[in-house]
Amino acid sequence: MRLATDRIARQRSAPDPRPLVVTGRRGNIERLTAVDAAAAALGLRLGLALAEARARYPDLAVVAEDAADDRRLLDGIADWCQRYTPLLAVDPPDGLLLDIAGCAHLYGGEERLLADLLARIGGFGFAARAAIASTIGAAFAAARFGDAGIVAPGKERTMLAPLPMAALRLPEDTVAALRRVGLKRIGDILDLPRAPLAARFGDDVLRQLARALGTEREPLTPLLPVAAYVAEQSFSEPIAREEDVLHVIARLAARLEPVLERCGEGARCIELALFRTDGAVRRIVVATSRSVRDPSDVRALYVERLASLADALDPGFGFDLARLSVLAAEPCPPEQIGLGERADDADLDRLIDRLSARLGARRVMRLVANDSHIPEVAAAAVPAQADIARENGWAAFRRFRNGVALSPRPLRLLGKPEPIEAIATVPDGPPVRFRWRRAFQEVVAADGPERIEGAWWSEEGGPARDYFRVEDKAGLRFWVFRAGLYRLTAQPQWFLHGTFA
Amino acid sequence: MVVVRLPTGVVSLRSSREAGRNVLRALKHSIRSLEPARGSGTIPFGIAPIDHALGGGLARAALHEVAAAGESAITAATQFALGVAAHAQEPRAVVWIAEEMGLIENGAPYGPGLDDLGLRPERLVTVAAAKPRDVLGAMEEALRCRAVAVVIGEIRSARLDLVASRRLSLAAGHRDVCAFLLRTAPGTDASAAATRWTVTGARSRANAAGPGPARLSVLLTRNRHGPVGSWLVEWNRVERRFDLAPSVSQPVADAARDRPHRAPAFGA
Repeated sequence: MRLATDRIARQRSAPDPRPLVVTGRRGNIERLTAVDAAAAALGLRLGLALAEARARYPDLAVVAEDAADDRRLLDGIADWCQRYTPLLAVDPPDGLLLDIAGCAHLYGGEERLLADLLARIGGFGFAARAAIASTIGAAFAAARFGDAGIVAPGKERTMLAPLPMAALRLPEDTVAALRRVGLKRIGDILDLPRAPLAARFGDDVLRQLARALGTEREPLTPLLPVAAYVAEQSFSEPIAREEDVLHVIARLAARLEPVLERCGEGARCIELALFRTDGAVRRIVVATSRSVRDPSDVRALYVERLASLADALDPGFGFDLARLSVLAAEPCPPEQIGLGERADDADLDRLIDRLSARLGARRVMRLVANDSHIPEVAAAAVPAQADIARENGWAAFRRFRNGVALSPRPLRLLGKPEPIEAIATVPDGPPVRFRWRRAFQEVVAADGPERIEGAWWSEEGGPARDYFRVEDKAGLRFWVFRAGLYRLTAQPQWFLHGTFA
Repeated sequence: MVVVRLPTGVVSLRSSREAGRNVLRALKHSIRSLEPARGSGTIPFGIAPIDHALGGGLARAALHEVAAAGESAITAATQFALGVAAHAQEPRAVVWIAEEMGLIENGAPYGPGLDDLGLRPERLVTVAAAKPRDVLGAMEEALRCRAVAVVIGEIRSARLDLVASRRLSLAAGHRDVCAFLLRTAPGTDASAAATRWTVTGARSRANAAGPGPARLSVLLTRNRHGPVGSWLVEWNRVERRFDLAPSVSQPVADAARDRPHRAPAFGA
């Protein structure tokens, strides 16, 4: 309820003593959508028309609402709340749902967790209410309409009974319809016969009631997928130095190693989440080309990754929690110790991972052969970490190449054929002179043409190309082609596509 | 930390010419012992005069600088380096690190062309770095990897200081990996490379059927362990290695187009 006003108060450079209200257009009237504590103390309620509020208290600070900014803030807080549990969902416009099953003992019990959460959020300058209950519906009702705190299991019914109908998360018109027949509190419908209630007000009422009471399961859709393997470490004294961070990474990886080993898996994609004391969360992901488990490998990857960060790792006042999660795992057979080729392969993969982490995955590439006669498609560079880089088609390519007498291919191919101005003596013949990058090349010998047709099934295949291997006076050899035939095109265009030694 | 043990007696102030010579000899000896052992492995060219000049072939655990005479001749320099390196220590990988801009300007390595050269494309890992600095860093990283046979770094006429080439030389010696530095223009700066070459294309033995096998004019401008020289080499497509080009660059007579003396043989 205070999210928007708290956001504005936090962004202000100087405190403003006036009561703050946030307004937005509802229907055709500017109404209050958020009020701060001072405004609430004056008796201003949500939904009040701004004109009326101003008439009562002329000295109000009024700010227009910004739903997108509020959402961003809520997402940020949700990110920060990941320190309590990986399973959490955003409940717009101003709520968060945390599934803390199995997490509370880490903080010494539910009371302590709740106190810790409220103290920290309060420290950031947010007014928050929180409740713990066995169901999402009960926790929602307790936090927003009830006394907050902890609802003991089995006490949902007594807790819900005195609360207004809106606490059931029902649409406004349903709440209004219920109120019209005198059903104002949840207690009023708890013992009513189900069938007439459903017939008159729809299934929603019963479903939400059952969900709040826990007789029907309600799934939580988490914000982020939950990693299969997670290790985390919180620090009583925040850490800030990069060496310390790397040390922690190695320690967390060492904790993950036996777990991964037991499951016979290794990590292909690892995320490091660093929780800064001021609430910001930094996530750094590294990917690998083969599954890794070894803590020193993981550490080595982060050494490269941290060194290459575009914006340096800004620790602010330090990180008080670090979490290493394995986002993608893959079966990883136990490593054999040996001096054979396999060890070499692993070494090369490690090199590829390190270079990819430092320079970026799309900069480290391997060549794969494709089944195509179009030169630029026949061989492609793919990121070396990708799985397709392993199933390169070169063996098939060589089988084909040995069977067909194909003319030589250039050693270096330009990414895009470059237009040249060429003069040919006879139509369909090789050029005798051409200009490439402003330099004239006098052709002394030419070989060709090798005709390569465009793909008939594709519009982009383009016209047929006649390739020539030409040598100039200086002893440089080029691969040039004419796009289109003279008898089909009036003035075919020439291109240079690659160079031979 | 390097400790050079000087012969006793040097400390005495009566430094004669003989003592000076002793110091020099001692220093030379200790420097020799610091350097990576020579002859730990060479890649022979198979061309007697070149192999002789290099002392058996291109030293494997060393840095070699191969420069194109000009940017347009970079493919010739590429082939020279690859042609020598292709057969080194199969099946270990070949890592080619270049500036991204260089790959765009001069073309990226093309798989089928590499295959023609005898370098199986699956051995190749290409790295497109954003800056020359990254190229050198990645080269050093790759040189420290056991699974790599050859590291080729391509630099576009950027200055290279002695420290960088020295680092690369040491890294190459460390793991017995051959390092090539491809440059688009001959470097004028001091370098710690074992050899420096300048390569450009040469007119092939072309005939009516088109250009002949690739010919390169190579100039060995620096050789730490022997004489320099210049040669004209020709790519041997069948054996996939370089040969010394025959001295006459043009065929003496064109091969006859129609061969009348064969005709009766068919008719008979």
